[in-house]
Amino acid sequence: MDDFQSAEETTFVVDEVSAIIKEAIESAIGGNAYQHSKVNQWTTSVVEQTLNQLTKLGKPFKYIVTCVIMQKNGAGLHTASSCFWDNSSDGTCTVRWENKTMYCIVSAFGLAI
Amino acid sequence: MGELGADDGAGNTYSLRPSLQRRFKSSTVKECIHAILKEKLANVQYVPEEMPQLTKSLSEIIKDRLKEEGFDRYKMVVQVVIGEQRGEGVNMAARCFWDADTDSYAHDVFMNVGRGSTRDKVLYALLSFCYGV
Repeated sequence: MDDFQSAEETTFVVDEVSAIIKEAIESAIGGNAYQHSKVNQWTTSVVEQTLNQLTKLGKPFKYIVTCVIMQKNGAGLHTASSCFWDNSSDGTCTVRWENKTMYCIVSAFGLAI
Repeated sequence: MGELGADDGAGNTYSLRPSLQRRFKSSTVKECIHAILKEKLANVQYVPEEMPQLTKSLSEIIKDRLKEEGFDRYKMVVQVVIGEQRGEGVNMAARCFWDADTDSYAHDVFMNVGRGSTRDKVLYALLSFCYGV
């Protein structure tokens, strides 16, 4: 049956995406301390790198990637997301990362075409 | 490519793209979000124990409200971020890989200004709409 794509190609694989996100974060902000002047560039680069790697997977998906970087200051931060989609094929993956001076939360949503 | 009804009994009437009327309109959605945020967060203080519940319920409310707007065939993702204002720096970025012709997003920021010693919060709501086939 070559007409239909196999299950791995049309479902959102959380582990794979989680690994891609972690790698993108490490390479963009790995050993750095929070710097106000650079944070804009960092969020952009984390998001763009993640998106690039996701599109290289070649799956028939649309992607949305968001990244929040917050300085560690004792303040609280909450994020929640609500989605209206097809549960069997679409999925999401959120990765929380931190170092001594900042928190980074990346969410990737994949919607099957 | 308009959406043809199936009543004339013709063969292929499954539309792959929305017509202009059915297309997602960023401005109407932004107003919707703004109204909901204003209504729900007007006098709310930042209380750490209550925040997770509030964030989740807000994103559900926004999603349900938008389902009623009538963007059928659209899939949607709503993300709500609530942070406490304590002088820390926060930066948020988003990128999407979709069909720029049919898909779009809307976002709104709400800041509540506390009086005296009340803890302020900033809320950022981001919605993305993707056209599902």
